[in-house]
Amino acid sequence: MSEITLYDFELDENCYKVRLLLSVLGLSYRKVAVNVVPGREHLAPALMALNPRGSLPILTNSEFVLSEAEAIMIYLARAYDNGNAWLPTDPKAHGLVAMWLQFAGRDLHAAFLARRLAMFDASGDEVALGFAARSAFRLMEDHMTAREFDRAAWFVGDNPSLADLALFPAIALSRDFGIEHEAYPALRRWMRRVRAIPGFVTMPGIPDYY
Amino acid sequence: METGWYPVALAEGLERGMSTGTRLFGRELVVWRDSADTSHVWEDRCPHRGMRLSFGFVRDNHIACLYHGWQYDTSAQCRYIPAHPELAVPATIRVATYPSIERLGIVWGYNELDGDAPPDIGFAERAPMTPVRSLYVDASAAKVFDALVLAECPPLKNVGGATQRSRTDALVSLKSGGDEILVAVQPLSDVESALHIVIAGPPDVYSGDSQKRVSAWGEALRREVEGAARHVGELRHEVAP
Repeated sequence: MSEITLYDFELDENCYKVRLLLSVLGLSYRKVAVNVVPGREHLAPALMALNPRGSLPILTNSEFVLSEAEAIMIYLARAYDNGNAWLPTDPKAHGLVAMWLQFAGRDLHAAFLARRLAMFDASGDEVALGFAARSAFRLMEDHMTAREFDRAAWFVGDNPSLADLALFPAIALSRDFGIEHEAYPALRRWMRRVRAIPGFVTMPGIPDYY
Repeated sequence: METGWYPVALAEGLERGMSTGTRLFGRELVVWRDSADTSHVWEDRCPHRGMRLSFGFVRDNHIACLYHGWQYDTSAQCRYIPAHPELAVPATIRVATYPSIERLGIVWGYNELDGDAPPDIGFAERAPMTPVRSLYVDASAAKVFDALVLAECPPLKNVGGATQRSRTDALVSLKSGGDEILVAVQPLSDVESALHIVIAGPPDVYSGDSQKRVSAWGEALRREVEGAARHVGELRHEVAP
């Protein structure tokens, strides 16, 4: 029998993406808490053997090992979401979700680094990272503004997809690194919708009440 | 800082039960809408510990601070303190407020805290309006006005002739043929502003394509204004520690 295990750091937004999906899919799993700060356990031999990149999250399912949040999300959706609601099979919708997943991993990496810098004193150029994060949030805001003109509520298609779950953490946590939600009215409305998805869970930095 | 009426949000974008933080000349405001559909513009500060109320949450006809749950009613009076549920809350515990009004599909605030009755906003209500969007720009309100008073009204439904422009302290009208767009400018700080854009006409005519066209027009204007701002080194965003 398969057993899903998530190597997890509670304060990490990439781990949160996977926790969010596991929760909305209603999957039970074993959570292994990794002491990243200050323990740096993610760089210890045991975890480096699972993921030589030295990053979290890592997901295992029996012998299968996978790292990188967006890749794990794709795997979980294909393996456990029988209705293909979270990763549509329609070619265009699939392509668009893939584009936003890449956006979450690449363009929003600046937000990840800015948060590391602000919260854990990691190194980096604060001004450049803040500017890059704001540029990415602006692209998301312009996209959701245009979507609202079509009376659409989600990043892709008529229903929430992996794109919404992967894009949510960076903007929802942006106050951690000094970026307010003032300039993103369409994203504020979208975030309220994401919070109403059945199975939605929060993490530290995202208030339970809103 | 000029005392006067300034736009702070698009009315339709502020849903019931929603609160948001914003600024006028660097001063922090919370804008929220209660369950009876009335919007409020207050100082963004809980009198208890100074926490921003915009981080809190709206329930029914009150807004609650995220920090200790103190609840304020629509007159900004504190009515309930969870740590002291039996306490009749003293009348002195209240949030400072700005006079506010909704007009032209926009929420406006008069930037004088707890002031006497403010002067009339100076223009009549016109309805119905089609909201487009609020657009946040990395440039001063003065720079935005410089661009707006030269801008062309984007062609919508009733195209015709040169753009006619007019402006008040915080509002620009661009008219061409039978189409008119209104842009209200909110000075956030010395180097940032927000444009609240509406089409002066009914949604059954202007929703959809016209909204998209005006939105794209706004994005182009933002590029132009920010390009000019960057050129003179105005942009200097910093990430708070």
